[in-house]
Amino acid sequence: MDKVKNTEQLKALQSALRKDAEEAASRKVIIKVAMATCSIASGAKPVLDFFTEEMPRQPLEFIIKSTGCTGFCHSEPTVEVTLPGKDPVMFGHVDVKKATEIVNDYIKGGKPVAGTVEVSRS
Amino acid sequence: MKAQQLKIALRNCGVIDPEDIQDYIANEGYLALASCLSGPREAVIETIKKSGLRGRGGAGFSTGTKWEFAAKPESDKKYVVCNADEGDPGAFMDRAVLEGDPHSVLEAMAICGYAIGADEGYIYIRAEYPLAIKRLHIAIAQAEEAGLLGENVMNTGFNFKIKLKYGAGAFVCGEETALIKSMEGNRGEPVSKPPFPATKGYRGKPTNVNNVETFANVAAIINRGADWFSSIGTEKSKGTKVFALAGKVKKVGLVEVPMGTTLRELVYDIGGGILGDKQFQAVQTGGPSGGCLTVKHLDTPIDYESLVAAGSMMGSGGMIVMDEDDCMVAVAQFYLDFTVEESCGKCVPCREGNKALYSILNKITHGHGTMQDLDRLKELSAVIKGASLCALGQTAPNPVLSTINNFYDDYVQHVVDKKCRAKKCRALIQYRVVEENCIGCGACKRACPADAITGEIKQKHFIDQEKCIKCGACHQKCKFSAIAID
Repeated sequence: MDKVKNTEQLKALQSALRKDAEEAASRKVIIKVAMATCSIASGAKPVLDFFTEEMPRQPLEFIIKSTGCTGFCHSEPTVEVTLPGKDPVMFGHVDVKKATEIVNDYIKGGKPVAGTVEVSRS
Repeated sequence: MKAQQLKIALRNCGVIDPEDIQDYIANEGYLALASCLSGPREAVIETIKKSGLRGRGGAGFSTGTKWEFAAKPESDKKYVVCNADEGDPGAFMDRAVLEGDPHSVLEAMAICGYAIGADEGYIYIRAEYPLAIKRLHIAIAQAEEAGLLGENVMNTGFNFKIKLKYGAGAFVCGEETALIKSMEGNRGEPVSKPPFPATKGYRGKPTNVNNVETFANVAAIINRGADWFSSIGTEKSKGTKVFALAGKVKKVGLVEVPMGTTLRELVYDIGGGILGDKQFQAVQTGGPSGGCLTVKHLDTPIDYESLVAAGSMMGSGGMIVMDEDDCMVAVAQFYLDFTVEESCGKCVPCREGNKALYSILNKITHGHGTMQDLDRLKELSAVIKGASLCALGQTAPNPVLSTINNFYDDYVQHVVDKKCRAKKCRALIQYRVVEENCIGCGACKRACPADAITGEIKQKHFIDQEKCIKCGACHQKCKFSAIAID
């Protein structure tokens, strides 16, 4: 990354990054896997590996991100999936079996998958 | 209406990729630093003061005032230190912030550096947090590469380097003077204040020490304004507080709520109530320095003053919920065990007094306590609190005092009746076969590691109390409710 030289450049970079993100969200599936120490301890790593291996096989554009703690210790490992134009859906207790369901049923089929976590954001 | 979370310190946690600075920049990252650098340093301190932000490590001192103290002295060198020596049992707020949003802390440290006139910052972090350390290293390298940290930040002439120092896991090193001693390579022992670190800190230079969560609030305050921040919370406690909600609640988690939210709202609305819909007994706040609050405190608003008035304290944010099955005497003993282990040994009242407190509690949980012991617990606690140098000793007896005050009957029951209501104190319970339920399957006998159970198949079984070690294995194995605990 080039050095940011002043506030204007930082603001320009910020709006460019935002635009990219919005553009990506309008057509790509965004998958966020929580990868804090506690998420990893409860089994997030194989889930992340599964998505990184499985998604390129799908005829879909996608972004996979690992994030920090979502705060939902009671439901780790958690995965948040945002389909283009839809609200994010958080899935809890995700293992590889459930991740497969998420890909096949929710991401490809648009059908609900059991075991979502209620997220209230204010 | 159900209480809601409000995320300020955790705004980016679980949202952005902590290993990608672009994700942080897209979310207003480093904008606060840029705006601070374009104005006078006094204005930064004024904003933080006006916001009402107070230290989130537990003591609750005004952050803006602390910065002002460190800004005042003339010195060729000053330091900013981030206290990431999170040590309370059951607390993981700082780890979550550092693992989920490391740049928010780096940015705030740079802002603080600019405000007080420091060009160097240190994060004192526990070596037990390897992932947080890894992500901090990545974040520092990325920020330096982007010209947002290091030499000549954004061409303003402001320099700010951040380095890490690893703590070896001593609880006392969370105390700022002990932390500085440890950073200097000395034994982590507190020294008396004054001089405060703001005048004479790391390597004898003016040093400002803030907690991770305190820093995590700073950029949001600069971006959205002091008035916005001070509109959240109560009269004296502004903004939000992050809690590691643990123990017997349905939704264990890392939560952030506006100050003034009640304990009831936190436990029942956010935490979803008690596991297995059992009876709420107590909530422990403030870690080993705090206390246990009871049903009558459930409507206490969470703010620095109210929690102290109720007999506990805010602390760094550990919140452990206990149900009817928890023995409060044993809980006090657990926390004291921790403090005895973690006392640095410098002050006699803390080093020896807490040991004595522990042995009295041990006596009580083993059924040898007397009523005089209860008075001695109180007397000794007062001495330890009054005669210890640092907050570790001054607060160590709090779990004992708050449980004596709030659960006196439980103590009396242990001492007089030699019984433990929660059936947690092994010396005071007995496992017994309920004859009418026993079908003689032999599961308990096979599970018993002490060969204390006798009985033929399809015959009533029997537990030999002399041999029983009270491990509870039989109780767990029995599917017919035929093992009772008396």
